[in-house]
Amino acid sequence: MSLRISTAPHIRKGVTTQKVMLHVLIALVPCVIAGIYRFGFGAALLLAISMCTAMLAELIFQKLAKKPVTTNDLSALLTGLIVGLNLPPQAPWWLAVVGSAFAIILVKQLFGGIGDNFMNPAMAARAVLLASWPVHMTKFIAPINGNFGADVISGATQLTAINSVNSPLTLSGADLFNHFTGNIPGAIGEVSKAMIVLGLVYLLLTRVITWHIPVTMVASAALMSLILGGDPLSNIVSGGLLFGAVYMATDYTTSPMTKKGQVIFGAGCGIFVCIIRKYGAYPEGVTYAILFMNCLTPLLDKFIRPRVYGAEKKQKEAKADA
Amino acid sequence: MSSFRGGIHPMKRQHGGKRPTRDLPIREFISDSVCIPLGARQGPPSVPCVKKGDAVKVGQPIALPGPGPLGLPVHASISGKVTDVVRMAYTGDTPVMCVLIENDFHNTWIDGIYGQREFSAITPESIIPAIRDAGICGMGGASFPTHVKLSIPEGARCDIIIINGTECETFLTADDRLMRETPMRIVNGLRLVMRALSVSRGVIAIEDNKPEALKSILAASANLPGIEVKKLRTSYPQGGEKQLILTVTGREVPSGKLPVAVNAVVLNVATSAAIADAVLQGKPLIERVTTIAGCVKTPANLLLRNGTIIGDAIGECGGYAKTPGKIALGGGMTGICAPNDQVPMTISTSGIVVYDEEEAQSLDEQPCIRCGKCVGACPSGLRPYILKHYCDEGDLIGAQSEHVLDCIVCGSCSYECPAQRWLTASFKNMKDKLALAAKGGNGK
Ligand code: SF4
Ligand code: SF4
Repeated sequence: MSLRISTAPHIRKGVTTQKVMLHVLIALVPCVIAGIYRFGFGAALLLAISMCTAMLAELIFQKLAKKPVTTNDLSALLTGLIVGLNLPPQAPWWLAVVGSAFAIILVKQLFGGIGDNFMNPAMAARAVLLASWPVHMTKFIAPINGNFGADVISGATQLTAINSVNSPLTLSGADLFNHFTGNIPGAIGEVSKAMIVLGLVYLLLTRVITWHIPVTMVASAALMSLILGGDPLSNIVSGGLLFGAVYMATDYTTSPMTKKGQVIFGAGCGIFVCIIRKYGAYPEGVTYAILFMNCLTPLLDKFIRPRVYGAEKKQKEAKADA
Repeated sequence: MSSFRGGIHPMKRQHGGKRPTRDLPIREFISDSVCIPLGARQGPPSVPCVKKGDAVKVGQPIALPGPGPLGLPVHASISGKVTDVVRMAYTGDTPVMCVLIENDFHNTWIDGIYGQREFSAITPESIIPAIRDAGICGMGGASFPTHVKLSIPEGARCDIIIINGTECETFLTADDRLMRETPMRIVNGLRLVMRALSVSRGVIAIEDNKPEALKSILAASANLPGIEVKKLRTSYPQGGEKQLILTVTGREVPSGKLPVAVNAVVLNVATSAAIADAVLQGKPLIERVTTIAGCVKTPANLLLRNGTIIGDAIGECGGYAKTPGKIALGGGMTGICAPNDQVPMTISTSGIVVYDEEEAQSLDEQPCIRCGKCVGACPSGLRPYILKHYCDEGDLIGAQSEHVLDCIVCGSCSYECPAQRWLTASFKNMKDKLALAAKGGNGK
């Protein structure tokens, strides 16, 4: 009889990196469907291109660098999908290619691959695309709502329109409802808030994420917009705030390890979104707010750590002894 | 109620793997022969005092205490003929001295055992020596000599005795059955220890997933002054000594110290029952209840004589249900692997769990994705993902700065890790290295 000898534990939860990524992909399905319904097959094509590019980029990079190929963990596929969902539906195909390749190669792999990147790859890609091709990245079209033969009409997001006149963002009832259901111009994935909330519920139920980051991010954004004289509800449903709070700020690698750290992280994201929206040069603050907090994450993890059992008393004792 | 941080629910959907055995009464199984290891407990190995060919009775000393205060005698667990006294491989690398006995099936006990003594006839001073002479060590797994645990050092004080009936480990139901079937022995053991140390408060702590045990212990301890039964939230490792003390008393054992530093002593339920048998009946510790679970045909709770070959116990359970891939002594979170099924169980073997070939496979270690699950799970408040780097690099200083010595090797971090990282294994390794270094080796 040949028995395996190993150190305990002999049982594992059975949750793998791959399963975690799969859960997030599943959670994004409603957003994908809503995006395609609103913006047509062009949107579907963009998503496909960005996902393929991400997978290929990871595969080729790892082959060339003679590293083990890790495309099986699905994290590249997820990054690609998020890059795609962040694009305007009318974006040229190469924007998806550049975004995904940038995210995977420069932000993820060059820093050491999964787990070692300090910025969220999809977020960093969006930031770079926004800075390099602002026209392509902010040209939005009105939804066609399943009427796939219709002509596309380009329009500005509510945020851009309002920001340009610099008035506080306040949406009326019908507008609020349209924002919630995604019947507005915007990036493919972020328009339908209802679908994002659905994804959030799925992620919470499967315990992929906890409430800490998304809830504090949205709550602090609401509070901050109130302080800055805006309408909290309008701020929450507009732009990429919800999408960012649910799918991007919660990225394991680039968010803090402890619940306390996550609350601070989420709160920071929410505050900066509002500040950038109000005072920044760009209409949409979510990308930069999250990237900024990503950079603070190592610091948060350094200083916010669980108290070691029995440690504090030891110090006190040492003092008492001295 | 205060509680420890972190904690997990291993095998939650399978009810901790306890379903197959929790409702099966304890059944005695005595095998044809036993192989009693003399160095299986903590402390110095006991010195054999029988030789090949000797006839022995149940309860007869076969080895005398090793040198020093930690020494314990070992007793024959069956009656019959000593077939050999020899060094044999056990679960560790170094072979240990073992006494092999062939059963004559007469079950002849040494004289003077069965008289149940009256409680009032027992003097407090006689209790701890009786515990030592019965060869009692911790039966929860650590197998630390109980008389040492009960010897409160000069200047220290003990004001609470906690009996650990949490049985938070997966698969195991032996303690649960013991509490349900013979609660009086457990309560008596506690009373005796309280008397020996003149402590007025005793707590029996049981997780809320064992309602029958709670009921039976409550009934057995009703109207006894100073004894409380506490129902605890089911969470692993609720039964970890430090975690249990925190939950029950709100006190935290200082890092690197023993429970007595916070005036507490913790004993396992089986140990408590063994104490009652030893003091009230003069019975040495020669048997224990062990859960046989996992990939065996009919899982069971067996009352096994010390030194029963695990293959014999598995045979009593109908044998393997599938080709075994791994056998571990103890539960799923902390069990120790047996090299084959011909090694004996001992007094600290709470379970024998067989894993089939598929369950024995482990997935490849993947890069850490910084998900924080390990940090959330750790009951000691460590940061396993960072600690692992130091341990992998063999950095003794770094590992200590990340508090590796406060790791209780509970396995929670590894259990949770989606990247399948061998966190606990590397911490255990590092702790062993440091222990070696502290002993004067160079730690390499
Ligand atoms: S094995 Fe050690 S590090 Fe891991 S959870 Fe348990 S105490 Fe914490
Ligand atoms: S649980 Fe595993 S993957 Fe997650 S942070 Fe800890 S070591 Fe890394």
